[in-house]
Amino acid sequence: MKAPAAIPPPMGVDVVETTGNTMTLSLGPQHPSTHGVLQVVVEVSGETIERAEMEIGYLHTGIEKSAENLFWTQAQTVIERMDYLNPVGNALCYVLAAEQLLGVTERIPPRAQAIRVLMTELTRISSHCVWLGTHGIDLGAISAFWYIFDIRENVLDLVELAGGARMHPNYLRIGGVNGDVPEGYLAKLDELIAKFPQRMREMRSLLQNNPIWRDRTIDVGVVTPEDAIRWSLTGPALRASGIAYDVRKAFPYCGYDTYDFDVPVRTEGDAYARFLVRLDEMDQAMRIISQVRKRLDTPGPIMIDDPKIAPPAKETIALSMEALIHHFKLVSEGFRVPPGDVYQAIESPRGELAYYLVSNGNNRPYRVRTRPPSMYNLQALKQMAIGNLIADVVVMIGSLDPVFGEVDR
Amino acid sequence: MPSSQSPSIAGTALDPTSVRPPVADAEIVRVAPAEVRETLVRLKAEGCSMLLDVGAVDYLEREPRFDVVYHLLALPAVAASVAQIGTPRRVRVLAGVPGNATALPSVADLWPNADWAEREIFDLFGITFEGHPDLRRIQMPEDWQGYPLRKDYPLRGPAREATPRPAFALKSNVPAGTPPAGRVAAALQKQRERGPADDVVRDTGTGEKSST
Repeated sequence: MKAPAAIPPPMGVDVVETTGNTMTLSLGPQHPSTHGVLQVVVEVSGETIERAEMEIGYLHTGIEKSAENLFWTQAQTVIERMDYLNPVGNALCYVLAAEQLLGVTERIPPRAQAIRVLMTELTRISSHCVWLGTHGIDLGAISAFWYIFDIRENVLDLVELAGGARMHPNYLRIGGVNGDVPEGYLAKLDELIAKFPQRMREMRSLLQNNPIWRDRTIDVGVVTPEDAIRWSLTGPALRASGIAYDVRKAFPYCGYDTYDFDVPVRTEGDAYARFLVRLDEMDQAMRIISQVRKRLDTPGPIMIDDPKIAPPAKETIALSMEALIHHFKLVSEGFRVPPGDVYQAIESPRGELAYYLVSNGNNRPYRVRTRPPSMYNLQALKQMAIGNLIADVVVMIGSLDPVFGEVDR
Repeated sequence: MPSSQSPSIAGTALDPTSVRPPVADAEIVRVAPAEVRETLVRLKAEGCSMLLDVGAVDYLEREPRFDVVYHLLALPAVAASVAQIGTPRRVRVLAGVPGNATALPSVADLWPNADWAEREIFDLFGITFEGHPDLRRIQMPEDWQGYPLRKDYPLRGPAREATPRPAFALKSNVPAGTPPAGRVAAALQKQRERGPADDVVRDTGTGEKSST
């Protein structure tokens, strides 16, 4: 009789070696539930993880190096591609840092600040939509994906309407935003504001009290507050462990201190707590958006009144020599930024996103160092995974919400 | 890509950190490499519990050539509300590293998240961290030559092209030479046996089907 053939491991999982009671498995890098290209090598005894190591860098594109070789305004285009689920947040952080170096932070028009807050909160919602949809798919809850992507479509439509593109609008500028929101925009925004709470109730009824969902996420990947601090977790991952650190409250920017919103906190520290914190955050983001909506009724300038930074209006170029010269200089060699270094942080959907910018007085940034929240959050998986089941690795990765454009840059 | 028509304006500041504008983003501490560890241990004891980030800057013509930058944040290690946290203290520690002795003590034992951050600096700047548990390249492939974020590493051009580009598969925890396992291996084998596909019909979009 022929011996039965060995059962091959599932796609994307390779058995690297077997020694004694433990087996080393390689999960990824081509695995649908790793949310990108992540390789997790786990040592398992039975189904329990004893050690986990990760290999990143598969998506390394040298964005920091590229940004150092572009003009200050051009660099923003590549920077938006780091965290591709939160392009506006990345651009905002960079733009704020550059404005600090230029010393123009106080001179940004309030309407520009309001539009920036609107766009960042919209992308926070769209980013959390992708997280929720894919996290659900990882755990077998496919319906949630279709419902949540309906909201995401509406949100991206609003981003596109204002910025001109769905994913990477490159809408913000050093000194303000590229243009005012178009006619009819606020009516569309009102529609979303009206529709959103009902959609969120549907999402919650699909998952929040779903017994399967609860079984898969409660007490999985528990992080204590001490560990969260040791591993430098930020964002929802930190707030699910009880520490209510939110950059928007601790170091307000763009006038966030003038908006009324709460910071959702849970103390359980497990995957379910991170899920609830993100859901609550989406509601809070919409609460901020409806406050921005009221401010957008008052018209006003959307760019700083400084011809050395803001490009002149198109119609003035043919009429004014100064405008033509400024236009030529800004396009051909950009503007210079006074020498210095600055650390600017914002609250991205994943945590504290920051840029450490160095200028040597040139027309290009000298150094663009990112503090990537995904990378530090993901690193904690090395400890979080120990003692959990191998099937829960997927839950833990999903609950940390890493974006590999940012982890690898 | 920088346009060839727009030459870079010459930089003015050799050490931008010494002429920085009045931006109150953090307390700044500048230390020599020998004092890095003791400074960070002291700051951690003072309550700067979180190591937010470790980055590096190459100033090329300055002495010391590199700056390794530690960003610290003082957060409580217990559950705390927004009001209890308030505005936490931020500290930035800048350690100048000379170009001829690119080594610093590792802080991976103080903060486990320094592991990847230090590996990244080693990978992209060539600064070694003594006492690091597993110092190897993290973003670039294992056998990459040169340190891409150094200022003397070209963005493109002949020198960049001359850098050998190893196969993608080499950047993996799987030892080199390990044959692919599982269904993938079988699929590859089958593909090899089949030989090059010569009967693929491609739709050219013009209404005619062309055979390649």
